[in-house]
Amino acid sequence: MSRLTSTDYLKKVMSRYYTGLRIPSPGKRIAWVTSGAPVEILRAMNIQVAYPENYAALCAARRQSQRLIEIAESSGLSGDLCSYARCHIGSVLSPNAAPWKGLPRPAVLICCNNICSTVTLWYEYLADILKVPLFFIDTPRVDGAPASHQVAYVKRQLEDLVCFLEARFGRRLDEQALKATLKTSAQTAKLWANIRSTAMKRPSPIEAPDLFIAMAPIVVLRGTRAALDFYQLLHKELLVRIDNGVGIGRYERVRLVWDNIAIWHALFRVNQMFAAHGGVFVADTYTGGWTFELMEGDPLESMAHAYLSVFLNKGFADRLADLEKTLSEYGADGLVMHANRSCKPYSLIQPELAREISRRMGLPILLLESDMADPRAYAEEQLRLRIEAFMEQLGGIL
Amino acid sequence: MITAGIDIGSSALKMVIWESTGKILARYVGRAGYGSEARAREFCHSIGVHIDATVATGYGRGLIDWADRSVTELTCQVRWARQEVPAARTIIDIGGQDCKVIRISESGTLADFLLNDKCAAGTGRFLEVMAAALDVPVEELSGVPDGPSVSISSTCTVFAESEVMSAVAGGRNKQEVIRGINNAVASRVAALALRLGCVPDLVITGGVAQNARIVDAIASILSTRPVVPKEPQLTAAWGAALLAHDKFLSKREGSY
Ligand code: SF4
Repeated sequence: MSRLTSTDYLKKVMSRYYTGLRIPSPGKRIAWVTSGAPVEILRAMNIQVAYPENYAALCAARRQSQRLIEIAESSGLSGDLCSYARCHIGSVLSPNAAPWKGLPRPAVLICCNNICSTVTLWYEYLADILKVPLFFIDTPRVDGAPASHQVAYVKRQLEDLVCFLEARFGRRLDEQALKATLKTSAQTAKLWANIRSTAMKRPSPIEAPDLFIAMAPIVVLRGTRAALDFYQLLHKELLVRIDNGVGIGRYERVRLVWDNIAIWHALFRVNQMFAAHGGVFVADTYTGGWTFELMEGDPLESMAHAYLSVFLNKGFADRLADLEKTLSEYGADGLVMHANRSCKPYSLIQPELAREISRRMGLPILLLESDMADPRAYAEEQLRLRIEAFMEQLGGIL
Repeated sequence: MITAGIDIGSSALKMVIWESTGKILARYVGRAGYGSEARAREFCHSIGVHIDATVATGYGRGLIDWADRSVTELTCQVRWARQEVPAARTIIDIGGQDCKVIRISESGTLADFLLNDKCAAGTGRFLEVMAAALDVPVEELSGVPDGPSVSISSTCTVFAESEVMSAVAGGRNKQEVIRGINNAVASRVAALALRLGCVPDLVITGGVAQNARIVDAIASILSTRPVVPKEPQLTAAWGAALLAHDKFLSKREGSY
C-alpha cells in the first residue's frame, strides 16, 4: 500500500501543537474545549486550546486508553459513560498514568452541547474537580436549516462568551483578528471538503483510515496557518494520484462507507479485515462533520449558524438525507455502521437509519458493535466473522 | 472428483468428504480444541483417496493452512441449502457459541445475515450450562413432553442460570424447568429471526437443531414449519465440500 508523504508533515504539525501546549510562557492561557466549540473566538484572542476528545482518541490510538478508563471507573464513573469522557477524566485523576501526563491544566472550560449532552456533565464534572470556570453554550436541535430565532439565541451566547473571556483574561477581542481567523477556518473547512471528495474518483486516492488520521488538524488547529498548510499539501498529493490514475495502491473490489467514529485502538486492524477481501472505505460520515460552511457577514452570526448546523445536532430526516447523499455520491457498494457503544447520539439512530437506507437503496449493510476507545468492547473474532461474511455477501464467492 | 469440507466450530469439529456423484464418502464429528488441525489432517488421509480440493470454515478455519480456501460458515450454509433445500430462503443456524440467521437470495446467494450479540443466550453453550446446573445430560433436554414451564427472562447466561437455580430451590419440577430452558433458547433465536425477517422456506441447522422441543417452539413462534436436515451439525462442512468442488472446477477451467 502506498503511503501519503504528507503524513510526515502531519506528524510534525501535531507534535508541534502538543509540545507547544506544554511550553510555559508568560501570560499563556489554556482553554479546554469540546470539538464543536466556536474556537475561532479563542484563537483570535490568543488563547491556547486543548481538546479532551482528541486527547482521548490519541490515547486510544496509542493503546493507552484502557488504563485511564479503568481509573475513571474505579473512581465511581459508570461504564456506560462515553469512553472519551472516561479516558480523559482518568488522565485528570491520575496524570502520572497518562500519556504526556495528561493535558496541561486549563484556565477555563468551554463546552458546547451541539455534539451531545454527555459533554455537559463531563465539563461540569471537570469544573468541579479542577475548580475552574465553565462557559456553556447551548445549541437547540436543528431540523433542516437553523431558524432565525435559534441563530439569534446562539449568537447572544457567543457575545456573552466574548465578554466572559475579555473579563477573565483582560484582553479585548479584535474584530479584524476574528475575521481573519474565520477566513482561515472557512478556507480550511472547504479544503477538507475537497480532500474528502477526491475519494469519489475510481480508484479512490484516499481511504477512511487516512482521513481519520488526517482529520486531527481540522479539529484541533482549525483557524491556524499550520492546518491550512497541511491540507494544501495533502490535497496536492491526492490530485497527483488522481492525475496518474493511481489509487491507494490496493485493489478496489468494493467501495464502502463507514458510519460513526473510528475504532481508534484497532483502526488499521479492522480496515485490514475489509482490505483483505478487496474492500476500500472511500468515505465515512464522521470526518465530514468538519466541512461546515462559514457565511460572509457578521462573524458571530455566521459562527452561530455554522455551529448550530453540525450533524450531531440534527434530527433523523437530515441524518438520513446526508447518509443517502454520501452513499450515492461516493458510489458505495455497501455501508458499514459501527454501533459505537460510547456515542449515543451517533449510534442509537443507526438501526433505524439502516432500515430506511436498505429500503430506499437496497444496499448491503453491516452493523458492527464495538467502541471507539474502550478496547474491552472489542471482540476481534466476532468482528472478523461478520466482516468476512459481509464481504462474501458483497460478491465473489457463490 | 472428491473434495473435503472442514468446519472447526467453537465446540465441535465437523468434516465431510464428498464425491461429485453426490455421495458423502465419509463424515466426522468430534470435539474441537487443541489438535483439531492434526485430527483433520489424519481424517483426510485415513479416507485413502486423493482429495482434489479442501475448503475450511468455522471459527478455526484459519488453522487449516493447507486448505485451498477458507470461507465463512454463512456462505457454506447457503451453498449447502442451494443444493439440498433449494426452496430455502432463511436458515437459522444454532451453534455452540453463536446463533445466525441467514437470508438466501432468489438466486441462491448470501443476501443478508444477523448474528446474536456477544453473549451465549440462544446458543448451544446456554443449553450446556443449564443442563449442568440441573445435573442432566444435554440430550435429556429434548426429551420432555409438552406441559407447563417456568419462565426464564434473563438474557445473560449467568443470570439465567441463577433463575434456574431459584426455580429448582422453589420446588418447581425438573420437566417444567427444562421446558423453560428450551423456550428461553427458542424465543431468543426467534426474536433474532424476526429482526431479519423470516422468509419461508425455513431451515434450522446446527447442533441445537437436534433438540426437537426447541425446533417446535421456534416453529410455533415464527408460524412456519422448518426443515431440519438429518445431520444438522454437518451442513456447514458439507457446504464447504461443495464450495471446494466449485473451486476445483473453476480452477480446472482456468476461470478462477
Ligand atoms: S458521546 Fe459522542 S459526541 Fe459526545 S463526547 Fe462522546 S463521542 Fe463525542
